[in-house]
Amino acid sequence: MSEPLDIVILGGGTAGWMAAAALVSLIPPTRCRVRLVESEEIGIVGVGEATFPEIKNFNDAIGVNEAEMMRATNGAFKLGIEFVDWGFKGSRYIHPFGVHGPAHMEHIFHHVWLRGLRLGSKSDIDEYSFAAQAARNCRFEFPETRRQTINSAYTYAYHFDANLYCLYLRGLAEQRGVMRTEGKVRDVIQDPESGDIRSLVLESGETISGDLFIDCSGFRSLLLANALGVGWDDWSKWLPCDRAFAVPSERDELSPYTRSTAMEAGWRWRIPLQHRTGNGYVFSSSFIDENEAADSLMRNLETRALGEPRMLKFQTGRRTVGWKKNCVAVGLASGFFEPLESTSIYLIQLAIMQLVPLLPDKSIDPRLRDEFNRLINLQYERIRDFLILHYKLTSRDDAEIWRYCAAMDVPESLTRKIELFRHGAIIERYKDGLFTPTSWLSVFIGQGLIPESYSPIADAMPAEKLICHLDEFRTEIRDRVDEMRRHDRFIDPYCAAKPPVVPVASEALQ
Amino acid sequence: MNRRVEQVVVVGAAAPAWMAAAALHRSLALAGVRARVIELPTLVQSVDVYSALPALAGFHHRIGLEEQLLFSACQALPVAGQRFSNWSGAAPPFIHGYDRAPPPAAGLGFTHVWIKGRQKGLRTEFENFSLGAMAARANRVPVPTEGADLHSSFGYNIDAGAYSALLRHFATRGGLESKAATIADVEVEADRIAAIILADGERIEADLFVDASGPQAVLIDRMPGAEFESWRKWLPCDRMLVVSGEQLRPYPAFSQISAFRQGWVGLFPLQDRTAIVAAYDSRQISDKEMLDRLPVIAKLPINGDAVVSSLNQGIRKRTWVGNCVAVGESAFSLEPIDAVQLHIAHNCISQLMTLFPVDADAFCEAELYNRIIRRVAINLRDFQAAHYKLNRRFDEPLWDRCRDAAVPETLQRKLDVFAARGRVPLYDDETFQEDGWESLFIGHGLMPQSYDPRVDATPEQEHIAQVQGRLQDIIGLVEAMPSVDDFIARTEHQRQAEAGAVV
Repeated sequence: MSEPLDIVILGGGTAGWMAAAALVSLIPPTRCRVRLVESEEIGIVGVGEATFPEIKNFNDAIGVNEAEMMRATNGAFKLGIEFVDWGFKGSRYIHPFGVHGPAHMEHIFHHVWLRGLRLGSKSDIDEYSFAAQAARNCRFEFPETRRQTINSAYTYAYHFDANLYCLYLRGLAEQRGVMRTEGKVRDVIQDPESGDIRSLVLESGETISGDLFIDCSGFRSLLLANALGVGWDDWSKWLPCDRAFAVPSERDELSPYTRSTAMEAGWRWRIPLQHRTGNGYVFSSSFIDENEAADSLMRNLETRALGEPRMLKFQTGRRTVGWKKNCVAVGLASGFFEPLESTSIYLIQLAIMQLVPLLPDKSIDPRLRDEFNRLINLQYERIRDFLILHYKLTSRDDAEIWRYCAAMDVPESLTRKIELFRHGAIIERYKDGLFTPTSWLSVFIGQGLIPESYSPIADAMPAEKLICHLDEFRTEIRDRVDEMRRHDRFIDPYCAAKPPVVPVASEALQ
Repeated sequence: MNRRVEQVVVVGAAAPAWMAAAALHRSLALAGVRARVIELPTLVQSVDVYSALPALAGFHHRIGLEEQLLFSACQALPVAGQRFSNWSGAAPPFIHGYDRAPPPAAGLGFTHVWIKGRQKGLRTEFENFSLGAMAARANRVPVPTEGADLHSSFGYNIDAGAYSALLRHFATRGGLESKAATIADVEVEADRIAAIILADGERIEADLFVDASGPQAVLIDRMPGAEFESWRKWLPCDRMLVVSGEQLRPYPAFSQISAFRQGWVGLFPLQDRTAIVAAYDSRQISDKEMLDRLPVIAKLPINGDAVVSSLNQGIRKRTWVGNCVAVGESAFSLEPIDAVQLHIAHNCISQLMTLFPVDADAFCEAELYNRIIRRVAINLRDFQAAHYKLNRRFDEPLWDRCRDAAVPETLQRKLDVFAARGRVPLYDDETFQEDGWESLFIGHGLMPQSYDPRVDATPEQEHIAQVQGRLQDIIGLVEAMPSVDDFIARTEHQRQAEAGAVV
């Protein structure tokens, strides 16, 4: 057996510690040794207090106990995202983590529902999603494991304090053998011929060499961009927000969903945790000035603020490749999307879970690297289109940003998707991509795009029978949701955090 | 509300046309869509066979056709996989068994444990870990087993003429209209068919025309932008010869595809005979010589006349133009291995049903159909091209050329990543999942250089137990399966009992 691969992770934010925890948990020390270099002087962004259901797969894979993790992070459950005032003022819809309609009708249900509308049924599509209804009623239970039951067809994610999650993973990773080195990087030494990174020189003078470097240095992308010169695809013309203010406020109702409210120059988030509510305003500096944005955020808080708003600057886009030579970027070093659909932690997880099975040997096989880059690019582009959809599909004309977005040209891949849905409620499926047809459906409909027509197959059922089926299904959901426990009552026995757990210094910025 | 499609005309013959018509009728008759079939003279001969993947059962289920009828009326035999021999020099034959992929997110596949095992000296072949392959080897039928961790399903070899007649009967009994005719002319205006003119002078108009006429492509070939794009540089056989051979007893549970100097010969067992199909390169061997040599290559006496035809693998640049949709081999055609023939029709029809046009005056669905069908076709083409690319028959012009030629980039990536790490990059709209590609690649001798590093997190003792456990499980499951002979006898018995009960 050859010598283990020496992996050096630069940066100890969410990306760095997720990578460290996964590598040390999934790959034995005979195959790789993991070191993580971070500096306590450098703040972390702590992206994403809101997550996507895939995170449960990640936690399960690396052996995280869910209840323990939630206690340690003030975590709460999440069944979807509510969008308020997107599409048009006064609109309100949920992007649920579960299908609309009965599971066996997944491909045809929305056509049946559209026919129902034509026949005069006044129901909202949310009313056919178990997850959406449970969310609206502040209920939570684990999904039923027997398939084909009405309460089995959904998944869930978490709201948690990302800094505490990061600390939790750090504990786990160090306990399992990751070596942490405190220090700032002064210099990156590259092989003069191959250009591969050989070592990092810290300000202390210590040299840390490695075979594979994982760049988790955040927006600065110290290794991939600075040392290896990988370029940037700028997507800000489609996703114009470039700043966010974040502020915590006192705990409010523990609703099991993220709320996103469209504002005069961006949107505002509300993320309920056990001990507080996370709030933020994501905005475009081209459409509002910073002070005004901060005022708007503070003015709209539903509970008392627990601090001053803190600002974060960003740019939407991605590195043209995520893996070059012997350096793989994970997290913000590889690209950034605003947190509209809670994708930040998912993208970290994706990169790690693609890297693990393709982990190279000391001499890097370019076939593995190319496959990694192909998969990551595919996912980035599909997420990009889905986020742009929220901005493009609006009829709001009360603010400059919305007029700009409604009129902007979007990538052709997205134009096609919108036109197919408009024409006949058609949603193209794909294999590698976070957002399912259910996700696309909820945003299309929720933002007011009612298709011109629907599949003729939905015409085969007699009208009265169809209306009757729709009514029955809605009632079935309502009745079952009524039997569920309230979210806060579910959390109490399962994973209530032991107060007080919130050192002020670790307040997440978002 | 837009104008709905009300009249659909399916033009074609044999199974694909009736499959399309039955599916349209089943799902859309009550929605006010009237489907009719213009039945062209069939090209199916009495010697012909359809070799079908397990997915065909799902199609039958959807249109309401009882599976039993295949066995009682179409000489069908269940097939657990395809066996490939003589593709790789002295290497033993291998079987591509129809295993059902484990549910996604099941974590680390067994394949990587096996790859590591081989590096450590394990000698057991990959196919011994495939339930489908082992069922095939034992001539057993992989009927579902309750509670088992491993699953496999069976496809079919079916008499093509009888199956076409069965579907015709099934479709017309359900109220579908049809007319036997030939086409004299197709009136195309811009990118739409205004009408087709039959040889008897009848003029047929419709909102939507479905071309299920096979490689003749009587409608789509007239449409603008639907030129044929050949794939012959990757799939070199351009002639096909079909003949009947003696029945094999006991019935095998697999088809056999054997390579020879100028192409390959397939044996497809049926209840009453064995269909023998040879595909070959006409630059290397003449039809006459092929026929002369066939009994020796097939190692089976042949009966009756042989039927020779040309093969032309490739795809239409557009498979749906205006109001004309190609389904089946009028859209794209491949070689008659890997049981893809009916699958091509099945897949196109499923896509058409999903994308059935909502507006008779604006077929926006066409663009998406074209993209999806192209992806489906390319993935299948790559699967077949891999047989040729990975051959190890040296010093034979056809095989040397195929081994040396560049393959499409989509396939090259699969080969590269598999060779490097034992993973198969899967694209959108794949017919064969990871297990199918793995058995193909490993069977043809492409051994991964490394395995998923997560494998090393488990002690080797556990791997040994896992390997032994899996072999034991498979032996147990296979033993519990009926032999093909028993399966057929049981099915027949059941049919008679049911017929008796009705009387």
